Amino acid sequence: MPTKGAVGAAISAGCAAFLLSAVFSAGSGAAEAQTPPEGETWWSPGSGREFPAILSYADERGIITTLNLKGPTDTRGHPFFTSLGTNGRACITCHQPADGMSVSAHDIQARWQATNGRDPLFAAIDGSNCPSLPQEERASHSLLLERGTFRVARPWPPVDASGKRIAPQFDIEVVRDPTGCNTSTVYGLHGKNPAVSVFRRPRPATNLKYLTAVGFVFEPKNGFPLPIDPESGRRMSGNLLADSRAGTLKLQLLDAMRTHLETEGDLDPAEIQRILDFEGQLYTAQGVDFVGGKLDDGGAHGGPETLALSKPGVLKSSRDVQWVEYSPWAASAATNPASATTDTPGSGDAQRLFRESVARGAAIFRERTFLISDSSGLNSMNFGNPTRDSCNFCHNMTRTGMDVAPGQVDLGTTNEPFADPAPDLPLFKLTCHAGEIPHPFLGATIYTHDPGFALTTGRCVDIGKITMQSMRGLAARAPYFSNGSARTLREVVEFYNRRYNIALTEQEKQDLTNLMSVL
Amino acid sequence: MTIRRSARLYVEGTVLLSLAAALCYGADAPTLKPVSFIACPIYRDTNQGRKSGCWLADDHESGVRYDIGGGRAKPQIGHEVLVEGVVANSPDVCGGALLAPVHTAVLETRCPAVMLPTENYPGRAFQVSAKSVLPPMDVERPLPPPPYESQQWVIQFNFQSDFLLYQYSEVILDAAARYIKVSGAKRIFVTGYAATKGMQVSGRTVSESNTLAKTRAESVAEALRRLGVDPRLMHVSWRNDPEPIASDGGLEEPSKRRVTIRSEL
Repeated sequence: MPTKGAVGAAISAGCAAFLLSAVFSAGSGAAEAQTPPEGETWWSPGSGREFPAILSYADERGIITTLNLKGPTDTRGHPFFTSLGTNGRACITCHQPADGMSVSAHDIQARWQATNGRDPLFAAIDGSNCPSLPQEERASHSLLLERGTFRVARPWPPVDASGKRIAPQFDIEVVRDPTGCNTSTVYGLHGKNPAVSVFRRPRPATNLKYLTAVGFVFEPKNGFPLPIDPESGRRMSGNLLADSRAGTLKLQLLDAMRTHLETEGDLDPAEIQRILDFEGQLYTAQGVDFVGGKLDDGGAHGGPETLALSKPGVLKSSRDVQWVEYSPWAASAATNPASATTDTPGSGDAQRLFRESVARGAAIFRERTFLISDSSGLNSMNFGNPTRDSCNFCHNMTRTGMDVAPGQVDLGTTNEPFADPAPDLPLFKLTCHAGEIPHPFLGATIYTHDPGFALTTGRCVDIGKITMQSMRGLAARAPYFSNGSARTLREVVEFYNRRYNIALTEQEKQDLTNLMSVL
Repeated sequence: MTIRRSARLYVEGTVLLSLAAALCYGADAPTLKPVSFIACPIYRDTNQGRKSGCWLADDHESGVRYDIGGGRAKPQIGHEVLVEGVVANSPDVCGGALLAPVHTAVLETRCPAVMLPTENYPGRAFQVSAKSVLPPMDVERPLPPPPYESQQWVIQFNFQSDFLLYQYSEVILDAAARYIKVSGAKRIFVTGYAATKGMQVSGRTVSESNTLAKTRAESVAEALRRLGVDPRLMHVSWRNDPEPIASDGGLEEPSKRRVTIRSEL
């Protein structure tokens, strides 16, 4: 497995062949010896570098490519690339092109090493386990370094979009507090500004037309039409942020400015629009696989160009089949699938077998049904508990695998007893008030690492619900799930297999892993 | 014989349609007498693709095992279920006598979570009527044509629930909102109801809570508001224990769990 690193900077279509060659050299081990020069892989605020029209970097499985449709962009003074707050960060700090416009634990660790922990990425406010900890110590940033998670402090009790307090349906107690932040007299539940600190991965600032697309008027998980943004008159998306605390990109941006960048005062509306315009013109996807080769080759339509050209918010159907991009690779499936796992870069047989594996993974994703159970937001609708369906049931938006519906689901990534053990994360005990509708499958007392959507709504039925996210650019931005609990794509597959007792074979696990690695 | 009888029933009016249906079910069919009971639901994992499993429940009084999977909302294993339905004359594909129509409501009371294997029952593939599905937002639809008049819509709810059921409620709400807006309705009356008097089922009295009529009405009003209906035109009210209304299968109790939307020009 090649080490993630920069093997190519900005590319144009004309030098794609050169890049492919460079990447396959990396695949055979050359990249492991490379030390990415500062300013090439990592984008620091205020670097003044030009953000090109096409930008590619090597990742663990191949090349991640971002299209900047109106690029190149002069980043000098551009608010996406400029420190606007008091901690030295800009949007680009946590939305790195080499990491699929998110930020990977791998690059966070590299950044710690390169700067001895002095990069604004590690700002005390949320880049450490708690601002009250000694910031110069690596251990104080362990959740960011190991899980890639930032501290998100949600007000308690919850407040609505207008800042009005919501009366929660449950009480919250801190059972375990390894970071010390939830019991802190300054930052904790009983501090001056009571807050619940949870730890979450940053979501990619790219492919945003898919996140804001509203396919249907109704949000079936709560039964209501999606609310309308009074500013634009358009329906708000339910697919933004893990806990859906903001319904528009602008609201998300303002929230991020205030918290992650620690800005003071209001941002100029023109600057806000510049950020929204820039992130709205970015499309990111895996473009090349070390073994499978170019992902738009052999009749396939992988890569970011398809994302840029496609209509967002389309529900999968027999006409719009999920991951149809890779259907052409199934045409040659006739050989022994057991030999599909190989590290040989780019060779004929290895490439063919890998491509067939990806196509099988797509078919499994669509067609392999299993019993989905005890998942609030799904089984609590009128589908019943359990209900038989496939991955495609929830990951139903073509091109990105988000939920067209949209909405939040409790898979069990944060709620006990389904969540994996996480002694490094805080644990909360939530007790639903008498007379309130309890969590449909966990009852009135729930232990959780992150109450998720319930920190926005205050409702028991929403405890542990997390918004589904785009499945694009995964190979560049490990770890996975909102709390970084899956270190690899294989661990994502293993979680689902364990959670829903799917009984995937070794080959099926490999096929699904390969599929996710080329998205 | 069957043809002649059906023809005569047709000309004698719709009142006799239920009798005709009973005759079509055959001499041994248990007529259209509604069945209601509380039981622990059983999931049979027949696999006919997505959403295809069977739901069964045993009526302790009659000893009959029923197929209860055809309702708008499916049960949940581990929770008792209130079943209200009508026996249909249909092949047994799940291991129970089919109830259709049927209403099932998940109760808070726990019971063992029971799943059965397929046991050679074929089950049935999932189907949803096109009429129950709202098209995507980008599909252009013609507005209801004039002439316009005062209209009424009814939305039914599950027992002890104010949840707007997917692939049912939104179609009615959408139709109501579109008609209200295009017709220029001057007043809209949203009235919520709940059956709080209760009923005897399986030796127990089950009833809905006193606050439910209000929350049902408010849910519908909020949905209409989000669909662009002017809240200043809406008159929202609620009351308990209404008279039953005509509904599928003649099931009276489920028809009391409703919200009506009435528009006046």
